[in-house]
Amino acid sequence: MGVMSWFKYKSPFGLAFAFQRITGIILLFYLILHLCYLTSLQSRELYETLTSITVSRQFIIFDSLLILCGVFHGVNGIRIIIHELGIGHELRRVVLAVSAIIAILGWIIGSYILFMALGD
Amino acid sequence: MRGFEPLAWVFQAISGIAMVFLITTHFLLTHSSHDLLSYDSVLYRMTNMEYKIFYALLLIFVTFHAFNGLRAIILDTEGGMRKKGAVNAVIVTAALIAIFYGLYLLSKF
Amino acid sequence: MKFVIRRFKDDKSFWQSFEVPVKKGMTLLDGLFYIRENIDPSLAFRASCRMGICGSCAVKVNGRPRLACETQLSKFKKEIKIEPLDNFRVIRDLVTEFEGFFAKHKKVKPYLIANTDYENPIEQLQTPEELKKYYIFTLCIKCGSCLSVCPSSATLESSLGPAALVSAYRFNADSRDRGKEERLKIVSESFGVWRCHSAMECSEVCPKQIEPAKAIQLLRRETLR
Repeated sequence: MGVMSWFKYKSPFGLAFAFQRITGIILLFYLILHLCYLTSLQSRELYETLTSITVSRQFIIFDSLLILCGVFHGVNGIRIIIHELGIGHELRRVVLAVSAIIAILGWIIGSYILFMALGD
Repeated sequence: MRGFEPLAWVFQAISGIAMVFLITTHFLLTHSSHDLLSYDSVLYRMTNMEYKIFYALLLIFVTFHAFNGLRAIILDTEGGMRKKGAVNAVIVTAALIAIFYGLYLLSKF
Repeated sequence: MKFVIRRFKDDKSFWQSFEVPVKKGMTLLDGLFYIRENIDPSLAFRASCRMGICGSCAVKVNGRPRLACETQLSKFKKEIKIEPLDNFRVIRDLVTEFEGFFAKHKKVKPYLIANTDYENPIEQLQTPEELKKYYIFTLCIKCGSCLSVCPSSATLESSLGPAALVSAYRFNADSRDRGKEERLKIVSESFGVWRCHSAMECSEVCPKQIEPAKAIQLLRRETLR
């Protein structure tokens, strides 16, 4: 079957599982990138050059996508923790729907805060 | 308790819940207004003891969670499970490098 | 109704269509028998009890595992796609190899381990409340649907899979059982409960609605003690 079968769509739960894996891997790469980026803090010039590129209108789409990954991974993770405590298995469709709504709301709010902070 | 696996599972959940709060705080600390990402305000946070503890905690939780997650993904495959010991060793080493590098950066200020 | 069946012959797989006249109340299994009796006697599939008890006839119908004998054809429109279960080796057409599945099941010691004094046997009493703790998990018919959708079973053959873990929990939750430690030792290996990542697919497809994912989580909690 191969690794691709993890990402084979079966039910909404399988889809959530696949996204959890994909976003998890994206966030791991981001963590490594973030640690490398912070190396620049040792020099003011380097840090300011880098932030002038990354804190910008062109980059806001990536930031927003990153927020989507993070919020989804977090909310879906909480959903999984609830079920792993043995709670709410019979109500799993409701829990999934609620967590999807929370994730979308979190994404919108996060992106809004990011956009407002960017200023002109 | 039976070995490392149950501990890893529980700590994966605990760090997950903790990170929901820590990362939300981190996001608000850095993005709720424009000048929060300027060199001076970053420097202020990095030299302040409370922030230092906050970031050290965040670093440890995030790194453990990320690398333990990667370990679970790799062990789900035939090849990963065959070399389970090597996978565990590489993952632990990589996580420790990331944590110590992060702590080293924090200690510089 | 058009039956599109994935067939396997001599290591080759191909799709073949059959036109089956459908009557009210007809099940998918009736349709398969119709094909074998009237169109192509070489079509291989497994079935036995025809009433959802034996767990032989699970096949993938339009991408979702179902028991052929309990699937009403009136549920589908014009076309129905039938494949053998995923994560199992196909022997021929819709018949898959279950040896490995049953071996995993045996591995978790799916029987009561009790200190019975056979010289002076006494009745093993159990209250209705104690029965209720595990009763739902006794309904598993070992049809293999759960394992066929489990993402970690797809890439790791040695992973125990939902059905075996359900059995382990069913006996561990039994008040008459004395073999908890033996079973916990097996299921807490890396190929046991730790390969579950709560994708919940098993609970979604279980034809007996026994929530295998829940049993795995409860079992996992036991290994913490």
